[in-house]
Amino acid sequence: MRLGLSGHGASRGSALGCARVRLPHVLEVTEQHVDDVDAELDRLHAAIHVVRGEMRALRKRLHGALTQDVGEFLDLHALLLDDPELLQGLDTLIRSERYSADYALRLQRDRIAAIFTGMDDAYLRSRIDDIDQVIGRLHAALHRREGEVQGVAGEILVTDSIAPTELLQLQSQGVMAVVTAGGSALSHSAILARSLHLPLVVGAPQALLMVNDGDVLVVDGGTGLVVREPDASDLRAHRTRTREYARERRQLNRLRREPSRTVDGVDIKLWANAESREDVAEAHALGAAGIGLYRTEFLFLNSTVLPDEEAQFRAYRDLVLGMTGRTVTIRSLDVGADKADRTGLALVDEPNPALGVRGVRLSLLREGLFETQLRAMVRASGYGPVRILVPMVCCREEMVAARALLKRVIADLRREGHEIAEQVPLGAMIEVPSAAIALPGFIGLTDFLSIGTNDLVQYLLAVDRTNESLGDLYTPLHPAVVRLLHSVISLANKRGKPIAVCGEMAADPMFVPILLALGLGEFSMHPATLLEVRRAIRGCELGSLRARLPAMLRARDRAALTSWLNASS
Amino acid sequence: MIERELTVSNRLGLHARASARLVQVLSGFRCSATLAAKGREVNAKSIMGVMLLAAGPGTTVLMRVDGEDEAAAMTAVAELFERKFDEDA
Repeated sequence: MRLGLSGHGASRGSALGCARVRLPHVLEVTEQHVDDVDAELDRLHAAIHVVRGEMRALRKRLHGALTQDVGEFLDLHALLLDDPELLQGLDTLIRSERYSADYALRLQRDRIAAIFTGMDDAYLRSRIDDIDQVIGRLHAALHRREGEVQGVAGEILVTDSIAPTELLQLQSQGVMAVVTAGGSALSHSAILARSLHLPLVVGAPQALLMVNDGDVLVVDGGTGLVVREPDASDLRAHRTRTREYARERRQLNRLRREPSRTVDGVDIKLWANAESREDVAEAHALGAAGIGLYRTEFLFLNSTVLPDEEAQFRAYRDLVLGMTGRTVTIRSLDVGADKADRTGLALVDEPNPALGVRGVRLSLLREGLFETQLRAMVRASGYGPVRILVPMVCCREEMVAARALLKRVIADLRREGHEIAEQVPLGAMIEVPSAAIALPGFIGLTDFLSIGTNDLVQYLLAVDRTNESLGDLYTPLHPAVVRLLHSVISLANKRGKPIAVCGEMAADPMFVPILLALGLGEFSMHPATLLEVRRAIRGCELGSLRARLPAMLRARDRAALTSWLNASS
Repeated sequence: MIERELTVSNRLGLHARASARLVQVLSGFRCSATLAAKGREVNAKSIMGVMLLAAGPGTTVLMRVDGEDEAAAMTAVAELFERKFDEDA
């Protein structure tokens, strides 16, 4: 019978397929015994071998922003696969009790779970999820014939949660869409699904209860609607949506060579955020004005020694050359105790890394480090236009210090005979509320500004955006955010300082009318969403949005801001 | 066999990441290794074992290594504890 279930759309696209339900953390295996113990041990070890290979393959496919976070989980899983306690326990169960490998896995899982769930530490307690994932993978591998892919092509996976690594694998196996009971549209998995163009619906807990293996499902990753046993009109709607999405993709691709111009003829500058060679090539191909945010952390995080001036210079120079004369904005190092590195850079134990030694604070404490980085950036300016962006600025003094150091570096490099640009603009990231409020006092020390909305919203609202239990408390649709953005953008425009927004807010087409109404003329985002933002801009009329600015600034809550937005589209 | 008391002094204690570093370092040695704290002793080459110890910041743990390369292993582990597991030192 037809049944409609609603979740939250997390990655657009329409899919039709058979459901494959993956129940959470339950190995439905009953006690089984085997005659040939050695063959069973071989079977288990072959499965372990297969899973190790899968993990290595996944590790290789990681790139960009996900490398750090996801890589850490994969490393943990790889260690669990080699864990002597886990493996010997399994061997012992098979050898001494003649249990099947499946049942041994289940027993071992239950034993470990019993210990973990009794722990006081919530973080460690939740590591049972990692152990479950590894055991689940082993169990799946036990039942896979040689060379056979996990036969799920054309299916729609219904599960409690999904890890980014699994998404990569599922897509390569031809899975049409994923529906999860939990999760959020802000998670890494959701971001990844969008860049893979894999439809994803999150927050649909009923799906796990109401859907069985083999049920036909229609999934709309845009609205979050999931229909079990669709009727004729659902199928028609799916066909229409599929055509629409395909047309949308074609239209988006046609926008590659079009200007980012509003209906009333105002050109908006679209920059790209980049951290890998691929990002830079893509940004160039999409017609980005330049790189609006180049993160330098990866140079440090992937290495056990501090990169010296030459190594940094080569990386920045190649970036500049890759953009063939378009401006490149390089951000100085932005690490803190939470983004642990292996070079021993982050300074001290910090109980609260978000409020600790990070960004420019670290750079100013370690002036040698900062000077080396500035020298490398300024040297790269001999090869094409470079701007330098300073993260986590919270007061005037920091810009004074950065300015002075940059001035010295430029003088030194000229004296040493390096060919460098006549101008190397210096900008401040506005991501700490104090900097946004105190900006009139130091805007004269900046050549340009970039608003990091992810941190600005987080610090302004005191909401950790990665904390899923805070739900939708994290949102730029808050009057405080809108008013603060308004004061920063207005001031920059009045003083003639170029200003861009480089957080997720700039990458979401939904927020384009708000940012345009606030007077923003530059956006910076990951290349994956650049065309969608361009399309949104091309659908906006700047004049009428600006005329409705007072109404937006009067909004008292999220509902009012949402209805302002609805009236804009 | 060598024994030595070590103090967990990184920010989060022997959480997943620090435990992983410890196990990775020890995997390069042939000697057996155990870690004891709070009346429990675990295999220090097992990521699960080390996590199950749940040694928070400030905990003193007793490290035991036994085997031909025990001295080098103990030095490497002691250095890792001193470097706060390369984590947030």
